[in-house]
Amino acid sequence: MKSSFHGTEAKQKNMSEAINVQHGAAHVEHHDAHSHGHHKETFVSKYIFSMDHKTIAKQFLITGIIWAIVGGLFSVLFRLQLGYPGQSFPILETFFGNWAKGGQIQPEFYYALITMHGTVLVFFVLTAGLSGTFANFLIPLQIGARDMASPFLNMLSYWFFFLASVVMISSLFISTGPASGGWTVYPPLSALGQASSGSKLGMDLWIVSMALFVVSSLLGGLNYISTILNLRTKGMSMTRMPLTIWALFFTAVLGVLSFPVLLSGLILLLFDRNLGTSFYLSDIVVNGEILANEGGSAILFQHLFWFLGHPEVYIILLPAMGMVSEILSVNSRKPIFGYMAMLGSLFAITILAFLVWAHHMFVTGLNPFLGSIFVLLTLLIAVPSAIKVFNWLTTLWRGNIRFTPATLFAIGFVSLFISGGLTGIFLGNSTIDIHLHDTMFVVAHFHIVMGVASMFGMFAGIYHWFPKMFGRYLNSTLGYIHFWVTMIGSYLIFWPMHYQGLAGIPRRYLDKRGWVSFNDFPELDKMITIVSIIVFAVQLMFVFNFFYSIFKGRKVTNPNPWGANTLEWTTPLRPGHGNWDGEIPEVHRWAYDYGKDGREFIPQTEPIGENESKH
Amino acid sequence: MATTGTVHQTKWWSGGKSPFNLEYGKLMMWYFLMSDAFTFGAFLISYGSIRFSQNFWPDPNVVFNAFPGAGHANLPLAFVSVMTFILIVSSVTMVLAVHAGHKGDKKGVIKWMWWTILGGLAFLGCQAWEWHHLITGEHAVLVDGKIEMIGQTMTGNPWGNIVEDNTALTAALNTTSHETLVHLAHEFPKEGTATSIEALEKMSNAQLSGMVDVAHAHIREKGPVAFGGYFYGITGFHGFHVFSGVIINIVMLIMTQKNVFANRGHYLMIEKAGLYWHFVDLVWVFVFLCFYLI
Amino acid sequence: MSNHYDPTKDISPSAAYPEVSFHHHSDDAEFKRRVKKTTILLSVITIIELAIGLLIYNIHKGDSPNALLVLMFKGVVCILTIAKAYYIVSVFMHLGDEIRNMIMTIVVPLLLFVWFIIAFIADGNSYKNLRNKYDLHFKETTTPAPHHSAEKPGEKPAEKSGKE
Repeated sequence: MKSSFHGTEAKQKNMSEAINVQHGAAHVEHHDAHSHGHHKETFVSKYIFSMDHKTIAKQFLITGIIWAIVGGLFSVLFRLQLGYPGQSFPILETFFGNWAKGGQIQPEFYYALITMHGTVLVFFVLTAGLSGTFANFLIPLQIGARDMASPFLNMLSYWFFFLASVVMISSLFISTGPASGGWTVYPPLSALGQASSGSKLGMDLWIVSMALFVVSSLLGGLNYISTILNLRTKGMSMTRMPLTIWALFFTAVLGVLSFPVLLSGLILLLFDRNLGTSFYLSDIVVNGEILANEGGSAILFQHLFWFLGHPEVYIILLPAMGMVSEILSVNSRKPIFGYMAMLGSLFAITILAFLVWAHHMFVTGLNPFLGSIFVLLTLLIAVPSAIKVFNWLTTLWRGNIRFTPATLFAIGFVSLFISGGLTGIFLGNSTIDIHLHDTMFVVAHFHIVMGVASMFGMFAGIYHWFPKMFGRYLNSTLGYIHFWVTMIGSYLIFWPMHYQGLAGIPRRYLDKRGWVSFNDFPELDKMITIVSIIVFAVQLMFVFNFFYSIFKGRKVTNPNPWGANTLEWTTPLRPGHGNWDGEIPEVHRWAYDYGKDGREFIPQTEPIGENESKH
Repeated sequence: MATTGTVHQTKWWSGGKSPFNLEYGKLMMWYFLMSDAFTFGAFLISYGSIRFSQNFWPDPNVVFNAFPGAGHANLPLAFVSVMTFILIVSSVTMVLAVHAGHKGDKKGVIKWMWWTILGGLAFLGCQAWEWHHLITGEHAVLVDGKIEMIGQTMTGNPWGNIVEDNTALTAALNTTSHETLVHLAHEFPKEGTATSIEALEKMSNAQLSGMVDVAHAHIREKGPVAFGGYFYGITGFHGFHVFSGVIINIVMLIMTQKNVFANRGHYLMIEKAGLYWHFVDLVWVFVFLCFYLI
Repeated sequence: MSNHYDPTKDISPSAAYPEVSFHHHSDDAEFKRRVKKTTILLSVITIIELAIGLLIYNIHKGDSPNALLVLMFKGVVCILTIAKAYYIVSVFMHLGDEIRNMIMTIVVPLLLFVWFIIAFIADGNSYKNLRNKYDLHFKETTTPAPHHSAEKPGEKPAEKSGKE
């Protein structure tokens, strides 16, 4: 019986039948009516409404890149304001009209920019762009499956994300502007249209867009989980899976369990905004008018928001961790150090991610005793994080490291994760947090540990798997320039912010010149702005490299260019829908047999030899 | 292959098969329901959080005491128990539909799906009646020194404390609107003053005030507003699930009738729809607990 | 079988779902008995719950409601509800018939609800206490008068009353 699924007929050229073999399920349900005819690939079915996980991954990636440019540009704009307050840039007025009257960024525009920068980068780039891309691309390829469990829902997942993007983009072009109450959209500001122009239609669109985004991430996450559980190829036991897959698995679990809570919170917020309910509102006076809302609790929204918001941090970070583990091991030609410890720490981080949300709320009126429990749980995260850092460093230790751009970005990730993680210990203590809350210190902390670090993980992943995605290499010279400028630039931008924060400078302020105590670092701010413009320019260079290399990059000729063990390199150079031409290979060992018994690498598909040593 | 002999010593996790022996669709449905449980959980837990942040919360027995056709009779929890039984029974018929599907019994599936759909529609009907009753059933409430008639809505809650200070109530009658006074004088007349509505409408406010028996009118303060918001929000969200469940069941029924599953050889889709339907029942168990019982 | 897979020809469930190796078959009579038993059980539990609900109502109507007693009854109702949920999931949704690991993947994540509930409720309660301390208007306007307050004016309202 098995042979009819994996053997005999599978050598045909038309892969769509081969997919039917493995994925009868999907096709039984969705293609019942026309299962007799051959599927003819049209442009639309191949590149737009494609059900091939690899195409969907690329769609996520390219949409993510576009969003990253938009979100990055926003940060450059508000950095201009922070570095050169009061100075006029007439070109801004040319582009943004009333939002930058007289060439100066207006307060409403400034808040819209920081809100959209956060929303776009956190959700659209580092959630959809990162785990959307690599979960889609790597899960079927690395576990040995022809496609996702449900290719159709997988396609819907991208299109819901697309729809969410369209709604969010459209909110940028309405007269009252996009949401501008911060990416955390705390009520009462976000709940009351009369409170600010950014709390009007823009806020409704923000909520609608996020609701669509939650649907997208749910469809994706359910697919990732059931694919990893159900569709592993023969011999691919859970503990033989590459750490990338484990990380993406836990990411999906985090998303499936925490995004719905945000959805609930946002539905209640929508009610407060449009139906006059009082879930989050109480005792409010706006413009001298006493509002009728009574009995709600603004802290409740923060609880609901951070019940997602904190796991969200790990939704962003875990895929990067997984890819870095894989890339470091492949490129130092050494097995990953402490595979089971890595796995255990991923699991521990996943659990703890759900238990620590209120450490974002120490100064909001949270019960101090409850806060102290959250301090304890928060500091526990240091343990698995330290294990992971230790294991990455020991994987590199005495390895034959190949400094490809991917390796450099992976090492950069580890560096940033350490630097940013250490300041997390400061902020996790409620006593210190009372001083540092809402200062630039927080901005420095989360940008380094989560924002930039995950971007580095994403870059590492793109440089490493680009040959598999497009059959060509990215240009390495541009890659090295990209890495060094971004690495040094990131530290130059964010390191000084720690000092600003310790000196008490609050985040989100439009213009600090009005406060003697906050106006100590104008030159530093200028420097940060200049560096961020340079770093942004280098990212544009990467984007150029990316699109140029898709069409003109050096062609890949070796199906396994990095000499890696994992299954994706056993597929043809440019795999079609269905991934493997013949049978799906069987797996006989874990993914990290590098430098074993004098051999540089032993692919997972190779049976255990008779005299092979144990690892 | 379909023997249980293979169970022994099966290496469930070694790849090439489902570790849970479940096809992906059912697995996805289970995890979707898990996710949905967190949506409902978040709603109910925020309800709990708000409730604990209030000094006063209405007694559900006082709020939910009406029954269709029973007029003003005080029947606490009677109607909601009918609704609960409807949902439990429709869950049972769904189990039987799934079971018929296991046996490939198309007629059985159709029969039990019909009953399930009817159960779902009956539940939605009950909910519509209950909402209608709560929204339109207005109660006398002391607001800012005057008495108003308000219903249970998203923004108003007539279920506060009973006002026991009769002098304050009598004073409040002076500023109360004519319409409300007519209503009060009609419903709660002092002994020997009962007359028809038409007669009352012609009287002046001062006359009417003298006729209202405030001590027995059960006039309350305004209650916590969030009560209504959460009640309509959560039962509405649950009702939406019931509604979509009914739609799914209707689609399943049509597909069964068109022999889609018979041709496919299995009724797994019915099983998945069944999981969803039971989940709706499961959520109701908790909604019932949080809003009606405690 | 022709040279390509045709789902309409091989129609057994295990062909459509290659990752599944066998299907649960239960004895018809045995199954019906179980469903019947569960239905009766659920109904009985619901009736008990309703009875307790009415009991609480009557305690509230009484002269001096015993807060602790009410709390205890509410605890019993919660436990009964969890029992109901257990039967629905395990029998109606057939989770009880699945492989143990499958049951675990459903049950273990649900444990997150424990801290979810405790933290949210505790903070809601703390918010009430803070407001009662610092917002006298809130305290005065929302605290229910002690039952039949006329006789005992000076008494503090029961601390637990907000939870009822």
